[in-house]
Amino acid sequence: MESTYLTLLSTVVFLPALGALVLAFFPREKTEAMKYFALGVTALVFLLTLIMALPSAGDWQFDAAVTDMQKVFSVGWIPSFNINYFMGLDGISFPLVLLTTFVTMLSMAASWPIEKHVKAYCILFLILETGVLGVFLALDFFLFYVFWEVMLLPMYFLIGVWGGPRREYAAIKFFLYTLLGGVFMLIAILMLYFSSDLKMLSKDQLVAAHVISPELSEGEQAARFAEIQAHTTPRRTFNILALQQLGQHTDAFNGDVLGKPLQWWAFLLLLIGFVIKVPSVPLHTWLPDAHVEAPTPISMILAGILLKLGGYGIIRICYPICPQAGYELAYFVCALGVVSMVYGAFAALAQKDFKRLVAYSSVSHMGYVVLGIGVWSAVAGNEFNADAWKMGMNGAMFQMVAHGIASPGMFFMVGVIYERVHHRNLDQFGGLFAKMPLYSGLAIGIFFAGLGLPGLCGFIGEVFVTLSVWSFNHTLAIITASVVVLTAAYILWTLQRVYLGPEYKGPHGDHLHPMTTRELAIALPLFVLAIAMGVYPQMVFHYMTPSVNQTVDDLAGWAQRNAANLPQMAAFDPTAPAPVAPALVQAEIQ
Amino acid sequence: MDPVTTLPVLLGIAWLVPLASFTLILLFGPRMGKHGQGAGMLATAAIGTSAVLSLIALFFVWVPAYDWAPEHHAAHAEHGAAEHHDAGHGEAGHDDAHDKDAHGADEHQAEEHKTEEHKTADEHHDWRKPYVAGEWYTLGQFGKLRIGISYYIDSLTVTMFAMITFIATMIHFYANGYMHDELHEITDHEVTLSNGHHLHRPGRFHRFFQYLSLFCFSMLGIVIAGNIAMVFVFWELVGICSYFLIGFYIERKSASNAANKAFIVNRVGDFGMIIGLMILIATLGTFSFGDIDTDGDGTAEPGIFSLVRTEANNYALVVPDGMVRAAAASEIAAGVEPSAEQIAAWRAETGPGGIGRTAYWLLIVAGLGIFCGCVGKSAQFPLHVWLPDAMEGPTPVSALVHSATMVAAGVYLVGRFYPVFTPETLLVIAVIGCITLFIAATIAIVAVDIKRVLAYSTVSQLGYMMLALGVGGWSAGMFHLITHAFFKSLLFMCSGSVIHAVHTNDMTKMGGLRHKMPFTAYTMLAGCLAIMGAGIPFMIGLSGYYSKDAILAQALSFKASNPQWGFLFYVAAAGAAITAFYMFRLWFMTFAGKPRDHHAYDHAHESPKIMYYPLIVLAVLAVVVAWPFWPVSIVALLEQARPEGFHETVNGVLVSNLTHPAEHISHEPNFHIQATWVATFVGLSGLGLAIVFYGLSLLNPAEVARQFKPVYTFLWNKWYFDELYDYIFVRPVLFVANRVAEFDKVVIDGIIDSLAMLTRMVARLDDLSDRYLVDGFVNGLAAWTYATGSKLRSAETGRIRQYVMFIVVGTVAMFVLISLYIS
Repeated sequence: MESTYLTLLSTVVFLPALGALVLAFFPREKTEAMKYFALGVTALVFLLTLIMALPSAGDWQFDAAVTDMQKVFSVGWIPSFNINYFMGLDGISFPLVLLTTFVTMLSMAASWPIEKHVKAYCILFLILETGVLGVFLALDFFLFYVFWEVMLLPMYFLIGVWGGPRREYAAIKFFLYTLLGGVFMLIAILMLYFSSDLKMLSKDQLVAAHVISPELSEGEQAARFAEIQAHTTPRRTFNILALQQLGQHTDAFNGDVLGKPLQWWAFLLLLIGFVIKVPSVPLHTWLPDAHVEAPTPISMILAGILLKLGGYGIIRICYPICPQAGYELAYFVCALGVVSMVYGAFAALAQKDFKRLVAYSSVSHMGYVVLGIGVWSAVAGNEFNADAWKMGMNGAMFQMVAHGIASPGMFFMVGVIYERVHHRNLDQFGGLFAKMPLYSGLAIGIFFAGLGLPGLCGFIGEVFVTLSVWSFNHTLAIITASVVVLTAAYILWTLQRVYLGPEYKGPHGDHLHPMTTRELAIALPLFVLAIAMGVYPQMVFHYMTPSVNQTVDDLAGWAQRNAANLPQMAAFDPTAPAPVAPALVQAEIQ
Repeated sequence: MDPVTTLPVLLGIAWLVPLASFTLILLFGPRMGKHGQGAGMLATAAIGTSAVLSLIALFFVWVPAYDWAPEHHAAHAEHGAAEHHDAGHGEAGHDDAHDKDAHGADEHQAEEHKTEEHKTADEHHDWRKPYVAGEWYTLGQFGKLRIGISYYIDSLTVTMFAMITFIATMIHFYANGYMHDELHEITDHEVTLSNGHHLHRPGRFHRFFQYLSLFCFSMLGIVIAGNIAMVFVFWELVGICSYFLIGFYIERKSASNAANKAFIVNRVGDFGMIIGLMILIATLGTFSFGDIDTDGDGTAEPGIFSLVRTEANNYALVVPDGMVRAAAASEIAAGVEPSAEQIAAWRAETGPGGIGRTAYWLLIVAGLGIFCGCVGKSAQFPLHVWLPDAMEGPTPVSALVHSATMVAAGVYLVGRFYPVFTPETLLVIAVIGCITLFIAATIAIVAVDIKRVLAYSTVSQLGYMMLALGVGGWSAGMFHLITHAFFKSLLFMCSGSVIHAVHTNDMTKMGGLRHKMPFTAYTMLAGCLAIMGAGIPFMIGLSGYYSKDAILAQALSFKASNPQWGFLFYVAAAGAAITAFYMFRLWFMTFAGKPRDHHAYDHAHESPKIMYYPLIVLAVLAVVVAWPFWPVSIVALLEQARPEGFHETVNGVLVSNLTHPAEHISHEPNFHIQATWVATFVGLSGLGLAIVFYGLSLLNPAEVARQFKPVYTFLWNKWYFDELYDYIFVRPVLFVANRVAEFDKVVIDGIIDSLAMLTRMVARLDDLSDRYLVDGFVNGLAAWTYATGSKLRSAETGRIRQYVMFIVVGTVAMFVLISLYIS
């Protein structure tokens, strides 16, 4: 079985890279053919992942009922450091993988206006896809890190070469921010690696972590276990599942470092690395610049997929490996989320550049993700009831997928109009509804998805996250609820300035021709999905809920087991000082 | 027909047909007939189908199953009409009163009441309100928390369905005529382009009906919703429909501003509603109204209503366990489930600082949160400011959305969620309603835009309903909601007919129009009489007569129990006088007297049949709909949906001496008769004033306005609410937004960029030091070596003997030095 999975997942990950290789041999002047080829490759990858989502796909079928990792394989890669080529899928990664292949395909279709260095563009584009898919599938921390860095370089060039006037500034800013996050992550990885020891785990735990393959017979497993136990030196590991087991069931990561447990530092470093990507205030300023300068398809990928890597990292790595730190820092994480929501919404309200506004709306919407993950309401006063947290984390995951649909849609809609009139000044639009009715209708629909209107995808994630916060903290809950007003304000105001009104006020008004078929083919699927996910959210929850609930249950279980050693989290104390937010807001006012 | 199976299907289809119409028009609208004319027919047919289905559900399913109570059917037969009494609920003293309620004051409904009371069936004689609840599908389930698309059907739902679909059908017919202009190219005279011309645009007939259909679907969704989260979903959807319809003339800045204002102000209310939702889901773990068996184990999981009003407690208000537990979180030891006794003990701690008190507060806050949403949607003070601006929409929209249905959704939700409101919450509702009805009525006196007068009148009437609900008059409030829907939609459509004829909203340009458009004038007169509550005391009256009487009687009864809150009654009575005054002011200014603008008058004409036929239908209904002589009267239907626990007088916990008298008490002669006289008197005095000022012109209104200039200016500027909100909300928000954006640019990016600069400076220094220090040293060394080398070059002569001599001398010198050093 493992070999099937090896082939399947490797194909998914490396097919784009292979396509990039083939592209290198295309004659320079065949730009149209290159675009078609690259589109074909992305479409093929999407099809592959789509087949996995369908029932009765045999060995390939992703089984939504399984909560644990599936399609797992592990092959030795650098044995001296116990590094494996180790991948797998579960309900947390699978929807994001599907989202990635889908949005990448649409973005490739949106790349047609690219005329400069088409070959290089397509090659980098495909390598980027390999990098992202690799991050979502990797279960070995080292492999994860390698893919993380692989994804970084193509993005740098895609912004830096094909971007707008300030592209170099934006590209370097993006690169340095992400690299900084990567460095923090690397430090944390090494910290965890050098405190890990597989010998601390029981045989069942090792099997669950796929250190000992579950496909082996009972006897072989016992032999492997004995072999691991026989070592006199600690057996270090990069296996993310094994690190999770160590974090939740042993005190391997509790060693004291500068007065705090090691996992506290590891959590913090990883969190900084990931929230840079999300991005959360105050580490977000690379995003508006990157978006404004990046070409439309790259903005779509950036907003639709790359931001999700941050949220994914927090769910997959931060919390399960460092539960105690997650527990202690729950307020910090939630405050990051809430501050981003409020701050992003306010900043969006003040923007004059259409694309910058959408970028800030991403900051605000991704704040829900961080908040939903962080609402650790399974505490003693709540009898360790994890239901609200499950709602929050599922909402956060849904919000990631929903934002992955709505946000590329918004950026694409901005791109469509930018291509015609070559400006993005919000005060110089107006009256587009009369000139481009179909485009405006779709755009308004997609912006309403961003507004969180019921019946559209944005609503589900936001409402579940919002509803889950009360059990965690009342003050944060009230601030969270208030964001709906700000969101409505900046989105409606934007719609009014761009689409409504009697006439177009900017330059190049005669270029406002209706949408082309290609543009429609990109916008329509996003629009339809936005509605489908809003009306029938089970189509996404079906895949993700079992695994997300499992993650939450594990953490709640950990909290219950360790209840005696944990400080009381002041979740129900309304008099507790509100964290971070007020100070920041005050700073803003001054 | 078995209501349990039939009703969800019938009403479900009635609910979905407009959605289908919306989808079809969305996809094929422009291609439907000439200029999309077919879209109007399709939408009308769709809502007509819904109306037929709803009426079938009401008259052929619900009414025949009137005494339908499945669990008590067996015992039912043993109870005759005569032996019924209310032992199950209520102190003995109230029994008689309730008896009277059933058979005395409202004798015409005796029949219905009897059957209703039959449901006092098992040995406790407790009455279970009949309803059908179930779930269609789930949006998401996490652990035990579940949010789904479900239904809750009681007689209120069925009545509302019939009312909404019927009025909507009339308005659809009317709109087919009113929006006729949109079938062609349109010149919008209110929009001037930069080149000085007026805007020409293609008509948007189909789009109008597309939004109307979506609106009907959303509105019916609110009514059929089986849980509060689903209400919220459709709440937002009607909000967005309202946004589209107010902003229908997208080219007009005023229209898009009004649309934005409506949606954003509503979102402010929703903010409160979300907090209510959060508390409910966090403490009760369910959003469901009724008891639904969701996990399929054969027993229904209790909904919110059953949790707040448990059977064990005789349906009196009890703080649910979940709230007590949440309030006692700090007392709960690590993960130990508290016992039932423990929870009961906590609940009993209602003194200051006690857990029970905190839990009670949670219940109040949850109720107030939900009420916040209603304040937004029903345009109550302080969120009433959006409704008058919403009149920017086409008039059929004002009739349907902003008077008869959507704005009534807030009142409906208060009625629906009634069991969860504590007496304290109800008091807040009453006060808010009272303030609203007064503010709006006073502004209506001076407004000259015919639609705005009606808009303020709507706000004011909604305030009446809230007041009624808040003082314990559940059925009075709901009753007024339904009668108001009929006469207010009539009034709006008449005003639309007038605007259609004279092309202006300004009443100062009208006058004498009754000669030109008699149908409109006299149907509108019927509407004015209805809203004023005209009637022959104790004999017969128009619809408003019955519902306004009921409200005043309940307010009077509330005043008797709570003398300190007596102003609620006085304001309501004064409001009734003002209502009669401004409504007849409107009628006289428009239809009576001499024409003020001859150009407008000369071009005026009666509207086409498709517009005034619905007016006639609605006028007839506005007169007769509330009559208690019908076999199926509205009051009887509403009584059947009365929330459990509200047959009794209830007392407040936190506010001392707060008593909500049971509604049947207000039917006693001492309140009922008094209220009727008061209502008649204030109505007539308002009418008389209007006649004096505008009918006979005995007094000059302009003169009075001059004399009371400050008051007049204050009212003319709508109490300065818009200006106030601009100063305290809009500007600060924009200010903060700009500061935040600056903070990003200046501070955060400033830090980042200066870090980058610093790095570059360090690099530069590094470079310099490399060049001048490190390299300088190395290069200096090299240069020195080189220079020495070239100096030494002079010694390089190429003569062997000289070299040999150098070597010898050097060697000897070395030896000498070494030997010297060693010694």
